Amino acid sequence: MENREKLKKVVEDVFLLQPGEFRFDLRRDEVETWDSFGIVSLAVGIHEAFGCHFTPAEAVGINSVADIIRLLSTKGFEFDN
Amino acid sequence: MPWPASEPAQCLGADAEWLVVVGGGGLIDEAKAFRESRPGLKLVAIPSIWGSGAEASPIIVLSRAGRKKIKINPSARPDAVVYWPDLSKSVPAERQRAACGDCWAHALEGFLSPLASPGLRDALAQVIRRLLALPLSYDPQWFELSALACAGQSLAGVGLVHGIAHTLEVPLREQQPERDWHHARLCSTFLDPVMRLNQAGSDKWNQLLTEHRLPETGIWMILRALFEPDSFRAALPVLRQEWRGVLRDPCSRTNSVLVRPDWLERFENPPLP
Repeated sequence: MENREKLKKVVEDVFLLQPGEFRFDLRRDEVETWDSFGIVSLAVGIHEAFGCHFTPAEAVGINSVADIIRLLSTKGFEFDN
Repeated sequence: MPWPASEPAQCLGADAEWLVVVGGGGLIDEAKAFRESRPGLKLVAIPSIWGSGAEASPIIVLSRAGRKKIKINPSARPDAVVYWPDLSKSVPAERQRAACGDCWAHALEGFLSPLASPGLRDALAQVIRRLLALPLSYDPQWFELSALACAGQSLAGVGLVHGIAHTLEVPLREQQPERDWHHARLCSTFLDPVMRLNQAGSDKWNQLLTEHRLPETGIWMILRALFEPDSFRAALPVLRQEWRGVLRDPCSRTNSVLVRPDWLERFENPPLP
């Protein structure tokens, strides 16, 4: 599974999104479940899918799917458009 | 003993200085919550059964309007705790065993929590080693270890076992009044299936147990002994009905492994060891 698809699946599962709700420009303030527990869950899901850890500062600083992509890109993952 | 025996504000004089609560975790949490409305009131807890560790925790779990409400208040801990282990000798054996499951759920879920620091994980690993030596029945050491496990999980959070227990307890009591559903029994019943899913879902379980030299076989034997197949089967329809709520529960969302919506199907056929 390519990275964009893997990320979409993680975000859908972590934030319990309904089909069609996911967008690559989705922001934290649009998702009710993107709260402090969601941040923990996102870090766990990213670790399981991509094998990399987010530091607490990194995890708390994520405010959108685009931020996740930027962060994973700095860790060597490619997200081709 | 039901709570309240009568309206607490009426039965406790306005000039009362001490409130002494004798009971299980639910009653102790109600007393902790009541004390919040009476600044200056000193609280003494005498747990009548081990397991919840409510006497050692800043967390207050309350049943309100058909749901579990969880609060954290660092000053909620009782001012004094009196351990009187003999009180629990008259508790039925089945309830004692479930109390052991509650304690095990705190220890294991806290140990595996993604929020546990290395130091806390070391401490909870020590608790787990001591738990392995205890019978799943009365032993005075259960009180000390339950308090330690509960204090540990209050720092790290718990996981899916507690997400299920908190979400299912009220509907199960309403829908199956003939069964004696309570928090500890739900923890006992779901601990083994959830840990199997955790193990199958990530290599974290094996890694952490190896790193902390915890005997996997011994732990599985305990979890299997705590498992109640009849209760599990009886709870499954309600789990299906409440699954969305389980996924949204804060405890489920700090599970050691990401709890995915399709995990519900896996409860039908949990992975074998």
